[in-house]
Amino acid sequence: MSYWENILSDVNNFKKWKTSVENLDREINAFLQFDPEKGKKLSSILKTSKLKNREREEITQHKGKLFNLPFAVKDNIAVESFKLTCASKILENFISPYTATAVEKLMAEGAIVVGKTNLDEFGMGSSTENSAFAKTKNPWNLNKVPGGSSGGSAAAVAANFVPFALGSDTGGSVRQPASFCGVYGLKPTYGSVSRYGLVAYASSLEVIGVLSKDLTLTKTVFEIMRGEDEMDHSSLAGDYGPKRASGPKETENSEKKPVIGIPAEHGDMDIDPEIRRALDETVKNFNKLGYQVLEVKLPTLEYVVSAYYVIATAEASSNLERFDGIRYGYRDFSAENPEELMLLSREKGFGEEVKLRILLGTYVLRSGFQEQYYIRAQKIRTAIRNDFNNSFKNVDAILMPVYPKLPFEFESKELDPFKQKLADIFTCTANMAGLPAISFPVDISEGLPIGMQLIAPPFGEDILFKACGDYREIFSPKDAPNMITL
Amino acid sequence: MEKEELYTTAYMARLKITEEEVEKLKAAFSQMVEYFDKMKEIDVSNLEPTTHALLTSNRVRKDIVKEHNKTEAILDNAPELEDRFIVTPNVL
Repeated sequence: MSYWENILSDVNNFKKWKTSVENLDREINAFLQFDPEKGKKLSSILKTSKLKNREREEITQHKGKLFNLPFAVKDNIAVESFKLTCASKILENFISPYTATAVEKLMAEGAIVVGKTNLDEFGMGSSTENSAFAKTKNPWNLNKVPGGSSGGSAAAVAANFVPFALGSDTGGSVRQPASFCGVYGLKPTYGSVSRYGLVAYASSLEVIGVLSKDLTLTKTVFEIMRGEDEMDHSSLAGDYGPKRASGPKETENSEKKPVIGIPAEHGDMDIDPEIRRALDETVKNFNKLGYQVLEVKLPTLEYVVSAYYVIATAEASSNLERFDGIRYGYRDFSAENPEELMLLSREKGFGEEVKLRILLGTYVLRSGFQEQYYIRAQKIRTAIRNDFNNSFKNVDAILMPVYPKLPFEFESKELDPFKQKLADIFTCTANMAGLPAISFPVDISEGLPIGMQLIAPPFGEDILFKACGDYREIFSPKDAPNMITL
Repeated sequence: MEKEELYTTAYMARLKITEEEVEKLKAAFSQMVEYFDKMKEIDVSNLEPTTHALLTSNRVRKDIVKEHNKTEAILDNAPELEDRFIVTPNVL
């Protein structure tokens, strides 16, 4: 930790680090905005304004758990004075007037935002190729995508630009790029981290998550960010004490090895041989570590993608209505009346994938169609929750792949946008059920990282940290070929 | 999927689709809508819909006014201002 602390406090180290990041990022393009000085200024303003309110407290040098740690924030999460572009032309010049609660909590513990990272426009995509501004490359192989939609954050961590970064996970957008870039990616329990400051895409599915090569740091960042927030009425307090399926609560302790479940349905799924091999190896390794691995059943699994996209696009179509060229964002000045203003601003401001999803969402919410699509999808949601609840009677965590393919190349012919959506099956499941899940590195194959995924019951993040912590004995995050070293 | 259907849906979302875009969008759109039909294969007759996986009732906050000092920063993002009003083309 002192390595990272030193960077922001020592003038020479800071210069070296900043130059190194700028040089390598010309190639990687993890950052849409990189401005550590702006972040430092913001942190000191926060410190002064907070301290003014504490009239009776001594103004001591409050160091904080994340003192002087630089971190990156996905550009769909608000940080005051930084732009909040969501990688979209429609917000190209929008400067955020406020800071997300999750980010403020981290800043209050001494961490400093040094930049905003690239993403698929509005979080819609699995490769970061849908960004309107930059092409982020995977630090493991510059011809491969970093994954998405939090590709910039994953690349920034893998390239060693920052010790941790924030992303958002609606259907796998933290876990999948984490897996593609060989780092940890935590998707917390829905509601455990405030969404105030996260630009809404699918409000009932998304949550702010953490990416890092350091599992302990991931845990610390999560513990700081979480909590009920009056600015987000979907946020929850939660009981994070150790929980295990087997045994009475009083005898639970966080050292007890969780029982792992693996869905029987894997056999029928379209998974690349390398990923399947890695999954089998992971099971064997957990056995070696003294973990019990049992079979569970998730019969609703094959329906989650269709239901997920109905819900996500429906909610997106509603959430993106606010971008109309009137109060903020891109405006087409050639319009002669307000309606034309909206039509033209949205037509020019939104990218292709965003338009597609808005259209799909509008369609499924049309009067007469709701029962057939949205309501049906919400019922499938209940079904998948029931599947998980049944499984969690016998196991503590469920093991699955993160993605059925290795990191793919740009403009992949094999994995067109439709096929990329189908491949969200393992990740979007946790979003549909609101469950915490983590992607953890397990292997390198053909020079590309492979990650596996563990899903736990609500507020069961400790199970994820316990299992991944033990797994470090077998495999821990490796250094990418394209990274900075100081 | 008729083109007209797509144009109607687009208008509902105040999205203007151009002639160049419509063919490509129509193909991608139809492919997804067809895929949504997969949901018909599962029996949902005994299930209630889920919105928030973990919350079962609405929560409200106290009706107390809170001040903020962000007005200038918010207005700075407006495309066109006149005094403190946001300018739009004529409604009528």
